[in-house]
Amino acid sequence: MPFRRFATHQPFATLGFVVVAWLFVPVGLKSFARASFFELTAPVTVAADYARGLQEYWSLRLHSNHELIVAGRDLARINASYEFAVQQNAELQAGLERLESLLRLPTYNNYRLEHARVARRDFSGWWQRIVLRKGKNFGLTAGSPVVFSGGVVGRVTEVYATTAVVELISSPNVRLAGIVEGENHVMSYQGGINPTFGPPMGIVELVPLDTFASASAPKRLVTSGFGGVFPPGLTIGSVTKVELSTDGLFKTGEVKLDERLGSLTEVTVLVPLTPE
Amino acid sequence: MPTSESNPLEHSGTLLESHKGYDPRVISFYFALAVLLLILTGGLAYQQLFKTETYHERERVQSQRRVLVPGPRGNIYARDGVTVLVGNRPRFSVVLYLDELKSEFLSEARIIKKNYGKSDMPEAALREMPFSRMSRVSVVQRYLDEVNTIIGRSEKVDAASLARHFGDQLLLPYKLIDDLTGPEYARLIEGLPVRSPLQVYTSSTRHYPFGSGAAHALGFVRVNEELNVEDFPGEDLATFKMKGTIGKDGLEKTFDSQLQGEAGGTIFRVDPAGYKVNPPLEKRLPLQGKNLVSSLDIDLQLAAEQTIGDQIGAAVAIDVTTGEVLTLVSKPDYNLTDFSPRVSNATYAAIQAQGGEFNRALSGLYPPGSTYKILTSIAALRRGAITPDAPIIDCDGFLQKFNHRFVCYNGLGHHHNVLLREAIAESCDLYFNEAGWLTKPEGLAEEARRFHFDRRTGIELPGETRGMLVPDNAWKERAKNAKWFPGDTANMSMGQGFVLVTPLQMACFTASVARGEVFTQPTLIHQPNRPRQKSESIGLTPEQRAALIEGMEACTLPPRGTARNLTTVEIQRVPGVRIAGKTGTAQVSTKAGMINIAWFICFAPVENPEIAIAVALEGDTPGEEFGGGRNAGPVASAILKKYFEKKNRAATSPFQPAKGQ
Repeated sequence: MPFRRFATHQPFATLGFVVVAWLFVPVGLKSFARASFFELTAPVTVAADYARGLQEYWSLRLHSNHELIVAGRDLARINASYEFAVQQNAELQAGLERLESLLRLPTYNNYRLEHARVARRDFSGWWQRIVLRKGKNFGLTAGSPVVFSGGVVGRVTEVYATTAVVELISSPNVRLAGIVEGENHVMSYQGGINPTFGPPMGIVELVPLDTFASASAPKRLVTSGFGGVFPPGLTIGSVTKVELSTDGLFKTGEVKLDERLGSLTEVTVLVPLTPE
Repeated sequence: MPTSESNPLEHSGTLLESHKGYDPRVISFYFALAVLLLILTGGLAYQQLFKTETYHERERVQSQRRVLVPGPRGNIYARDGVTVLVGNRPRFSVVLYLDELKSEFLSEARIIKKNYGKSDMPEAALREMPFSRMSRVSVVQRYLDEVNTIIGRSEKVDAASLARHFGDQLLLPYKLIDDLTGPEYARLIEGLPVRSPLQVYTSSTRHYPFGSGAAHALGFVRVNEELNVEDFPGEDLATFKMKGTIGKDGLEKTFDSQLQGEAGGTIFRVDPAGYKVNPPLEKRLPLQGKNLVSSLDIDLQLAAEQTIGDQIGAAVAIDVTTGEVLTLVSKPDYNLTDFSPRVSNATYAAIQAQGGEFNRALSGLYPPGSTYKILTSIAALRRGAITPDAPIIDCDGFLQKFNHRFVCYNGLGHHHNVLLREAIAESCDLYFNEAGWLTKPEGLAEEARRFHFDRRTGIELPGETRGMLVPDNAWKERAKNAKWFPGDTANMSMGQGFVLVTPLQMACFTASVARGEVFTQPTLIHQPNRPRQKSESIGLTPEQRAALIEGMEACTLPPRGTARNLTTVEIQRVPGVRIAGKTGTAQVSTKAGMINIAWFICFAPVENPEIAIAVALEGDTPGEEFGGGRNAGPVASAILKKYFEKKNRAATSPFQPAKGQ
């Protein structure tokens, strides 16, 4: 009878034993095990993503020629406007470099652009991160800024052999030095506590008292470039609400982030050419 | 019964030790044991059941710590309610939360101990800095190096200050680098991990956008160790207080309780070593203090300060109808920025050495000189001693009377049979000597008291002197043990001798004369719809008052007015404004010898007075005459020009200021 009773509880006892044993495992071994586990599962993640890609490819193949022609035309138009913006940007960039050289100002970091596909997305109350399908094999480094067409995505926090983890700007673990577009006062942006299916939000602190914003008249929050990690002018989000902080020195506000953060497929990692 | 030889077992009954199950002699021990056990059990029960609260309370006091954080002070605004005269500016520093580093300290101490175990470290050196202290310095330096890398500095840990902080204020963040620049703070925001014991910390310090502007009126603050938070639990707990501030001078001192922010607090649970172990048990955020809108007009203030420049003296401008002080200047002054966050000993010594701390506007006692002739005129007119249209003396420069030779220092023989208007305009000394004698010293003193020259004005600033003096017969007998002489009356009639006033009193007096009353209560607090002040009537007939005002206006006009510079010199002219004024030059004896005090009082516009001014400047200009019209007049002119310039601009601007401002 006692043996049968133990047999009933054996799984729980084993689990308890493993948990207790895990507590006594050295930290280095735990980190190694975690990294190994990630490396071990990475091919599965990547393979699953490839499968999804294939699925999308075949679903796109189902579109009619007419739809493709219309899409091609729209794309050509967008490309034309982008070409124009690129030329303007190049001119402005040349002007900036000339002024920096004249005033002997230090230049911002230069980056190499590494486009990467998103292999997995983790959104929950605990995690706000994505896994990229590139890692050390493409020279990604931890701490690199990640962007997309809507602005800032986040920062690379972990880099593995073929994958990299990016902490999104909706995560409370990401903090940036931002400015309201057109102003020069540096504020502190930090990701908020975001529910799993809710719209991504962040909070901004150290907002000057003369800054006003509301949902009907939002202010665009962009990277300042002073923080040394993100280049200036990248969209963080829209400040939709500000209120006086209790210390009376500043205001604090809410930042509405781009909802596309939840459905990213392609991002660009800005790999610093002169990593600090 | 078998014998012992035949059966050994038979001996057992006698050889083996045996105990009785019950022995009456032992019962007393049982009893004693029971009593002891009862005492023990009772004691335990008593401790557990009846002293639970006591021990719980002791455990609570021992294991909880309270941290108090001061609330930022309120701002002080200029009278427009928008311009910040004193505000708060953020002070960014990078701090390290030592209470989160317990395991790192222990681990580092083990490593250091292990390494030093292999070396021959002298005992004395270990006593000097034990392993635990070494480990703290080492760990903190490692964090500081992280900061240094991000912002490009090469700061080192101050071991002594770290030890002090660790011993006394473990739960408070340890400041690694204070007053970060904007770029440094921006780099740290992005460079430091969010979940790190290193954090960018924002505190507030007093900010003075106008530097030394209105320094004496605004005052300064000092560090305050006493910090209390109302209705916040844990008064009996060990409390760590972050330093607050307390007003030490000026409005900062008078309205300290209003400006003072509401302190916030946090209660933590700590382990036996004092490290924080849990999220806060209680937390209350600090709140900013209430704002204050002062009556000061910073444009007028700066205009006056700029005109006075390096001279010594004071200038006060008052809104005639409300008594609100528009300008309160005292020179030399000090730069308020030097006091934020704290003034150095050298700077404070330099301020004291040049007399910058002394507020001459309300504590500087000066004889009012000829500006006092306005009071003499009122006293004489009210008592019928003089009339506006009847001469009382033929001034040919001097007068022999009471066995004494009295001199008219103004005009020197050109006044002749002057009437009241000319006497005021040209400041004829002999006319007012005679008026004083006719009025009697008691009359002059009584009139001075009626205008509150014998008491403090009651302005909301600390340190207003009580030394103002309206002399009379009784006072001289009491203070000097001497009789009152006609010469004393002559001196008093023209603001010399024993009379002592402050520039603020003279400004209030001028405002009162402008309103036709006897007292103006000055205030440094602005109220948008403050009602017109009302006090006892000046007591003159319309004709008498007209003559007085006409004399004052003529003082600022050519050809003979003593302050004619205000209308004849282009730079001092205030276009389109009629000014009523009176100059004065008094002599005082100082340690450095006799010096002149140049006075000028005025109000404008004559037809509907709005602003009253009093200026007093100490000193002499080598090679030049030092007097009210020449030296003090330009200061009043600068204030008036700025006042009417702003008024005209507001009148023509499409954006009208709020009513009452």
